[in-house]
Parts: sequence; structure tokens; C-alpha cells
Amino acid sequence: MSHIIECQDLAKRFGSKTVLQQLSFSLDQGDVAALIGPNGAGKTTLFSILCGYLPPDHGSVRLLGHKAGSSRLFGKVAALPQDAQFDPAFSIGEQLDFYGRLQGLSARAAHEETKRVLALVELSAERKHKAGALSHGMRKRAAIAQAFIGTPELVLLDEPTAGLDPVNALQIRKLISSLSGEVSFLISSHNIFELEQLCNKVLYLQQGQLKTQSHAVADQQQHYLTLQLEQDNADAVSQALSQLEGFISVRAAQKKELVLCYNPQLCQDFDLAVLQCLAANGWRYRNLTKGQTLEQKLFSVV
Amino acid sequence: MTHSFSVLNHSRLYAGVELRRLWLTRRGLMTLAATAVIWFLLLRYAIAPASDVVAADGFQQFFRDIFGNFGLTQLFAWPAPELAIYWIISLLLLPLFCLFFTANQLCSDLQRGTLRFLALRSSRASIVLGRFAGQMLVQGCLILLSLAATLSLAVWREGGLTMALLTASLVIAVNLLLVLLPFTALMSCFSALVRSSRLAVSLAIVSMGLVFALLSWFIFYFPDFFFLLGYLPGSQVIQLLPLQGWITLQHAWLPLVQTALLLSLATLLLKRKML
Repeated sequence: MSHIIECQDLAKRFGSKTVLQQLSFSLDQGDVAALIGPNGAGKTTLFSILCGYLPPDHGSVRLLGHKAGSSRLFGKVAALPQDAQFDPAFSIGEQLDFYGRLQGLSARAAHEETKRVLALVELSAERKHKAGALSHGMRKRAAIAQAFIGTPELVLLDEPTAGLDPVNALQIRKLISSLSGEVSFLISSHNIFELEQLCNKVLYLQQGQLKTQSHAVADQQQHYLTLQLEQDNADAVSQALSQLEGFISVRAAQKKELVLCYNPQLCQDFDLAVLQCLAANGWRYRNLTKGQTLEQKLFSVV
Repeated sequence: MTHSFSVLNHSRLYAGVELRRLWLTRRGLMTLAATAVIWFLLLRYAIAPASDVVAADGFQQFFRDIFGNFGLTQLFAWPAPELAIYWIISLLLLPLFCLFFTANQLCSDLQRGTLRFLALRSSRASIVLGRFAGQMLVQGCLILLSLAATLSLAVWREGGLTMALLTASLVIAVNLLLVLLPFTALMSCFSALVRSSRLAVSLAIVSMGLVFALLSWFIFYFPDFFFLLGYLPGSQVIQLLPLQGWITLQHAWLPLVQTALLLSLATLLLKRKML
């Protein structure tokens, strides 16, 4: 399978501060990858290098087989750069039309494309407004709209839902979800719940280094159950569940949340056994999920 | 689409945006209004009265007494004194205005991050060339408007429009654009360097002053290198002042070469710039 992004031994320094070091990873066509990491981990720098805004000091970056920033990537790689704003002199519609023209569309086609992408982010009514007249969330959605002009093969989104209200954040997640498969995404966000819903691959950056690179398919081979209890009786529940066949370990992820690890070869219906155990003891539960949450996976490893 | 065709096509699109910015945005219309006011004042209180003086007998001797024999008496050979005064004022003032007027070719977009949207769709060379071409088109519009007003004054005084007046106006327009080319390209460089147009203007003025001072100091000790002063942007203006007609184009090579070099430098600077 061809790599849509291929980074080899990437390094970047700003003065004496090392922002990225020995960073190597690859994403395949159709991947929806999450880029996670604490503030200052180098996520935005990595985005900037991928978009060609910034050259790496060392290493190589190839997107769709071409060097980052190459003219061959125009129209194929789209991005939502962090904090980039529209020109306040022109309306949002005029600017999106112009971006469409730069991507090679005719004036009429660019106009239609603007209509389409504004409808995707529910901003059709704001077409004639200038960026200054829009709220922060609307400007963000307009910036997301520009990333979907034409038919990009790879979309890089830096904090796509930060600053959006829940309804619009959901709308953006639905949009990404509906396009995944035909378009590859790399999404940077601090919203782990969001990334968990959208992404099949996770890159965890810390101090400029890739700490974890996991794949959803691989994770499904690890057998975990996440149990959310209604009452604060985790100790008693853990004690009872530890007696079940196939049980390996239990860990309290939060106050009323347990992560159970089991061996499916010893007990294939371990989830049913857990429910029966809870029912037999009269313990009520709120939620039982197969696998671990992304948050548990990342922060139990790191 | 070949790379050069793509650069040209993108540059054309960028230039078109700059024209729309002049004619269709509030800020552009304010620029037009400000230009109209400045040129009204120049026409009303400088060009019109000066034209009457120039047309008067005895002025030629007075002019020689002040400026000596620099060949400036050729100014009297212009088909209308209004055009001669416009020629002098524009040649001396427009390069200075140009520094202020074209300082924001890239600064605001760098500051706002708008260039990040653009750099995903076009090369940085297209952005530099397109913005430069746009600024030249805008300045061309402003020159044509002010020249048309001056020509109207001349036509009103002469009592009719002659081919000589039209040709002289065309010569002036072409030469002014040539003079402004390297200054606009210089501001492309400075606007690619910093994120504020005020800083770009300050840098341009300080750098030009510094280069001139250093060169003068160098020439003081090595007089054989005096010719170097002739390669500074705008150095042909003094030679252009006494000329008229298409012979003025004999100095066109210098601004064209300077522009090509400065635009290459601006492209290089923007390519190395972190967006």
C-alpha cells in the first residue's frame, strides 16, 4: 500500500530549543490519524513542516510521493492551519472563489465549489459577509470549508473543533467521518473523545518525539473491557470479577471506572460473565464497553 | 499545466485581486479618494500656476540661473508646460510615495496567516510576482488618472487635444512605470522580510540611506568607483529629467535589471520565510 505521508528521521530546532527529533512515521491511503500530545510537544511544527510552511532541519518528508510544499501537491493536500485568518477586505465567498481559481477551477466552477463547501459547514448564508463580521466559530468553519475545496487526497486539520459549539463540532466530526475512506486525514486535537470517534491511527508526540504509534486494528486484538459503575464500589467489584475465568488484571481508570484485561481463549464471553457477576451481586453499572478508551490506551502506556 | 504557465496564471489571478482591492473595496476607494485630493491640490496650486509661469517669457533665463546648464531647458520643449511640470513632480515624488504605497504587499498576509491558505495552492514565486504585478497595475491606474487630469488642464489651456500631447502623455506614463518598477520590487523584498508595513517602510528608508552613505564613503576613498552610484534604484531619474520623447527609454534597462534582481531576492526571501 502506498504511503500518503512518509516522514524519516525528522528534526527541527528553533534556536537552542529542539522541537522535533528523530521523528519517523508513515500514514497509508485512507488513514484517519490523530496527532496527540501536550502543549509544546511539536504538533503545530510538524503540521507546518507537512504543509511546507517550514523546512525541517534534518530528515525527509514526502506527501503523496512528493516533497512537502511541492507544486505537485497544490490542490491535493489541503489544510486547516492554526490561527490562519482570511483577508478582511473581501467576503468569505470571494476568497473561497479565489482559492478555487488558484486550484485550477474556472470562475463558474469555483463559484459552485464555494457554494458546496460553505453548505458543508452550514455557512451558505454568510457567503457575502467579510471575516470580520463573523463570529470566531463561523470563521473557523469557513477556514475548514477552504480545506475541502476541490478534491483533496489528504487533509491536515490542526485543532478543527477548538472554539466550536457542540452542535457545530458534531457537524464537523460527521463531515470528516463521511469523507474518511476517500480522503486521508491527519487531525491534531486535544479532544481525545473526538479523535477516538474519528481516527484509526494515533501518533502521540511528547517533547518532539513520537512516543506511541498505535493502530485501531491492532488494538482490537488486545482484550479489554471498560466498565463504568453507578456506585463507588470499585474495590468490591474488582474483587468479585477477579474470580472469573479468563481474568488477567483490573485497573481503576477513574473513580467509578474499571479497565479489565482478560484472556479470550480461556473465556470468549467474558463480557457476559461480567454482567452476570454484576447482576448476581446487585451492582448497577452505567456502561460496559469493549476495549479501552483512547485516553486509557495513551496514558496507561506513556 | 507546466510550472511556468502555472506561475504566470497564478500571478495573473493575484494581480486581479489587487485591482479588485483598489476598485471594489472601501480601503481601495479611500486610496483613490486620497490620490484624487493630493493630485487636485498639486494641479490646482502647483501645476496650473507653474504652467502659466513656464509659458511666460523670461522664465527660461530665470530657470537657467537657478539650475545652471544641466540641459533642463529641454523641459520647455514639452508640448504643454503642464506635462513638463507633471513630469518633474512625478519623477521626484512618485518613487517616495511608492515606498509607502506598496509596503503592504505581503506583510499583512504574513501577520494574519492568510499566506498559509495561499501557499497550499500556489508557489511563493507566484505570490511575489502576482502581488508585484498587482501593485504595478494599481500604480498604473493612479498614474493614468492623474495624468488624465493634467492632460485635461493642458487641453483646456491649449484649446484642443493634439497627437503630440497624447504621445507625450504616453511617454510620461511608460517612464513613470519604469521608474517605479525597482522601488515596488524593493518593497516586495522588505514586505517579505517583516510582518508590518510600517516596519517595511522604515527598513527600506534606513537601508537605502545606509547603502547610499556607505557607498559615498567608499567612493570618497576610491573615486574610481563613482559609477556605482549610478546603479542605485532611481539613479536614472536625474538623467531623465531633462529628456523627453521616446529617447527616455534609453535608460529603461537599468530599472528592468534592478527589478528582476530584486524580485528574485524577494522570492528567495519568501521561500525561506516560515509561514
